[in-house]
Amino acid sequence: MDNQKQKQRLDTFLVTTIFLLVAISIYTLYTLDQHYEKVYDGYYLDQIKWFVVSSIGVATIMFIDFDRYRKFAWPLYILGIFMLAGLHFLPWGYENNGALRWYQFGSTTLQPSEFVKVFLVVALAHVITSHNEKWQSKDLNYDLVLLGKILGLSLPVFVLIAIQPDIGSSLVIASIAAFLIIISGIRWRTVITLFGSVFVIIATLVIIYFANPDGVIEFIEDTPFDHVADRIQAWDNPHLYQDSSAMQAIKSMMAIGSGQLSGKGSMQYQVWIPERHTDMIFTAIAEQFGFVGSSVIIVLFFLMIYRIIQIALECKEPFGTYLCVGIVGMFTYQIFQNIGMSIQLLPLTGLPLPFLSYGGTSLLVYMAAIGLVLNVRSRQKTFMFESNDD
Amino acid sequence: MGKKKQKSHLPLRLNVLFFVIFLLFSILILQLGVVQILYGEDAQAEIDRTENVTSEIPTPRGKIYDRNGNVVVDNSLKYAITYTPQKNVQPEDNLKVAEQLSQYMKMEPDSVTERNMKDYWILKNRDEAYSRLTAEEKTLGDLEQYYAMLEDIDESDLSSISEAEMEVIAIKRELDQAIQLTPHVIKSGEDVTKEEYAVIAEHAYELPGISVSTDWSRENLFAPTLSSFIGGISDRNSGLPKDKLNYYLARNYKLNDRVGESGIEEEYELYLQGKKEIRQHVTNSDGEVIKSELIREGERGKDLMLSIDMEMQQALDQIIREEMEKVISEKPQVNRHFDKVMAVMMDPNTGEIIAVSGHRYIRGDEENAPRFRNEAYRALYDAHLPGSTVKGATILSGLDSGVIEPGTQFNDHPLQFAGSPDKSSWTSTIGVVDDIAALKESSNVYMFRTAMRLGGHWDYVHNNRLRYNGEGYSILSNYFRQFGLGVHTGVDYPFEENGFLGDDDTKGYEVLDMAIGQFENYTTLQLAQYVSTIANGGYRLEPHLVKQIHNPSDTESLGPIYKANEPTVLNKIDMDQDYLERVQEGFRQAFQEPRGTAYYKFADAPYNPAGKTGTAESAIYPGDGTKIDTINLSLVGYAPYDNPEIAFAIVAPHLGESDSHINNEIGRRLLDTYFELKEKRQQGETESDPNSEEETENVEENTETSEE
Repeated sequence: MDNQKQKQRLDTFLVTTIFLLVAISIYTLYTLDQHYEKVYDGYYLDQIKWFVVSSIGVATIMFIDFDRYRKFAWPLYILGIFMLAGLHFLPWGYENNGALRWYQFGSTTLQPSEFVKVFLVVALAHVITSHNEKWQSKDLNYDLVLLGKILGLSLPVFVLIAIQPDIGSSLVIASIAAFLIIISGIRWRTVITLFGSVFVIIATLVIIYFANPDGVIEFIEDTPFDHVADRIQAWDNPHLYQDSSAMQAIKSMMAIGSGQLSGKGSMQYQVWIPERHTDMIFTAIAEQFGFVGSSVIIVLFFLMIYRIIQIALECKEPFGTYLCVGIVGMFTYQIFQNIGMSIQLLPLTGLPLPFLSYGGTSLLVYMAAIGLVLNVRSRQKTFMFESNDD
Repeated sequence: MGKKKQKSHLPLRLNVLFFVIFLLFSILILQLGVVQILYGEDAQAEIDRTENVTSEIPTPRGKIYDRNGNVVVDNSLKYAITYTPQKNVQPEDNLKVAEQLSQYMKMEPDSVTERNMKDYWILKNRDEAYSRLTAEEKTLGDLEQYYAMLEDIDESDLSSISEAEMEVIAIKRELDQAIQLTPHVIKSGEDVTKEEYAVIAEHAYELPGISVSTDWSRENLFAPTLSSFIGGISDRNSGLPKDKLNYYLARNYKLNDRVGESGIEEEYELYLQGKKEIRQHVTNSDGEVIKSELIREGERGKDLMLSIDMEMQQALDQIIREEMEKVISEKPQVNRHFDKVMAVMMDPNTGEIIAVSGHRYIRGDEENAPRFRNEAYRALYDAHLPGSTVKGATILSGLDSGVIEPGTQFNDHPLQFAGSPDKSSWTSTIGVVDDIAALKESSNVYMFRTAMRLGGHWDYVHNNRLRYNGEGYSILSNYFRQFGLGVHTGVDYPFEENGFLGDDDTKGYEVLDMAIGQFENYTTLQLAQYVSTIANGGYRLEPHLVKQIHNPSDTESLGPIYKANEPTVLNKIDMDQDYLERVQEGFRQAFQEPRGTAYYKFADAPYNPAGKTGTAESAIYPGDGTKIDTINLSLVGYAPYDNPEIAFAIVAPHLGESDSHINNEIGRRLLDTYFELKEKRQQGETESDPNSEEETENVEENTETSEE
């Protein structure tokens, strides 16, 4: 009976955190709506609607035992790949600002890369679990085959998203893969070798860039990733490009900085920043509520991740742990990238801030991810004596 | 068991991950601290410097109505081509727009300066200009360098600029004057042809900041009647007048605002000027406006209702023109110096000016036909010797100071003083008169005797020297001032003349002259205020040209009253009411009793008029040492005597003769017209419609306005 009860249990800590984040999102969209009339008309109402819809989605996801999602792992993965590839040949593919990233059905748009993130987490968690079930002993062979499987699944997704181009989202894919590689059971020596070489390659590229920035930029400009060149230059030297590519970064710094310790107060906006309701929503909070408000957001995110990792630790099913860690990989990178770019730690990339940014697709996907975590949590087969120290 | 074994690595690795995540988030908070706490104030300072661009969009000026609600000055809309620069527009951008615009519109290069041309040349030949600099100059700062470049440009460079390019420069000159995000009129009104308007409207999308819109201009519907008097407003190029720059800038005006430059437009500028619409703009990196926030709604300027009755005004103007023409055509040689007449009609109970007229006659020559200029402001600006019209004030001075008493008599025969010119009346047959009869028959001698007494010379003895204790002037002028003679009337107009006045050194015989209006010069408005003060029983009222100010309305009719110019008593004549009544009676008899100086003209007038005629010897000194003797004819009066509702003053200076009695002719017709109009309106026979084509055209014949 006790087990039954625990099975239905909802993780109030995580749910409260998410609810707070969404509430802050809706309130922030409301302040934008009030201050910039006609620009963000009724966006907060949309967000409420999507929150309700995605809450139903969460409930649906929790209804099925998370173990059964292993059966859907491959179909979901193939669907994801198809959706990404379909942008290039399906009639609904929709290009905007030079990026082929969306499907358009009537007035609604859909960004497949958002879904694919979660599909990939499920697929990787399944593949790693299966691999560990089959391979009993750990040697180089075990490491390489598992690594090969993880990269084999991740690379096509990474590439398909990168060529849209959407460097931000493809880096999320990389982050998911990296987190799962660390946790998958691959031995430290292999992990360190792999990460070490990646680090060396990146470091070399950075050194080349700083040694000969113009050459690197020229080289990048000849590729389809020329916007990356702009972003890097703008980040490196914002005031040189303040009227063009660095404008958003500078405005963002102005808005956040001028919030100072406690902010300008609710609905007090002075700086106009494009995309403030989506990727730049953090600046809206920081301008209104200052360092105090921004820190609250970061702490809330940290508590969310802390709780997911705790759930991952407590989970007795490896699949559940991998799911949670993959999701942590997704969230961590997005949060760090989104906030980091608005305070000039990182170059600008178009990534929404989970739960805070306006947007139906992304909210639905992140809520689904939380749904999976809650599912894992609610079906923990804990023993009586273990549940006591909960 | 296998599963259990596999999982053993997890807690460690998860903790490592968790630690990494903790580090990442710590970095975020650290950097936030740097951005928000360490450099927060800098960011705020940067915002204050760069954001929050506001623009002010002008609204139409208030209209001007007459006392009966007829529109006198209206705004008429006209085509305009405007330029609204974005933020941080560079000279190169303006040049590009100017070059594009020059394909579609013409622009006279009259206003182009040499500096404009040089700026243009540098823009077009930047490399060449730079190469001319010496090595030393090249090390200078941007601004000094630019000045050096300007100096290096010579005639041959400028002469290489083609005529087409001159047009570009002229357009660019206008563009450069525009303030960011605020519409600036490049060209408007008749200068904009229909073709230009259409073509630019069509191409506006490719001309950043250029749009076609409407501008307004002031239209004086009764022109030339009163148009110079009401005054004009500046155009956008001249903007604020230099002498009142600080005054307007302190009141949030912008340099290129159009303001009233003269007359009523200037006097009531702060009311007529609308409240500008203020918008705050949020711009993106290209300076394009993303969002405009309405900070303050604009409001059209307030409307003025003049105290002027335009129908009476037009009639008065016409009477004056006709009478002047008559006098001049009858005796052109004798009256060759006569060229103007001024008249003011005023409500003696409120100070409201019903009509104010001033006409100047320009004699024709071979090329030009003779014509009139409508210069109503002369009634406030021009001071002339008033003649006997001031005798009412002299009598009151005598009565109140006690040097004469009601009924005091003097024999009117010429006075002779040792060492001074003789003093006599115009008419030699007056005989012994009391104070009332002295006004009726205009006895100079009575006034002299009164003035002598004020100066301490009590009894006249033939051929004695004129004695003067030095106080006569201050006593007499003090009384005169109480009636408005020789002081500002307080009229709501930017300027009025005070008169040409005496001072403490005024001689005894000059005081005698002053008593008969032969010494100090007064304006027609001062005379009108004086006679009003006598008419209404001693209240000196501030004359008003504007009756009330109305809030703007959306309809054709006047909006609710914002402020009314209430009658303002400047001072009350502090004397026995009996004295004032004696003067009123003297004035009545002058108009209504036999032997009265204006009796011949007003005897049959049904409206019970009273007043005083005046004739003054006024010499003209052309400046070549010669002296030309002329005569000023004047008339002040009011009606009806027992319940005055209209007071007036007329001055016709520098006639060659007094037989024409142009003062009385005009006075009679003026009062006749006033009461006819009143009767007509009371009977409601006509809805007064001074806008009708016929009437305005009549008036326009042979007239022209002058801008002062």
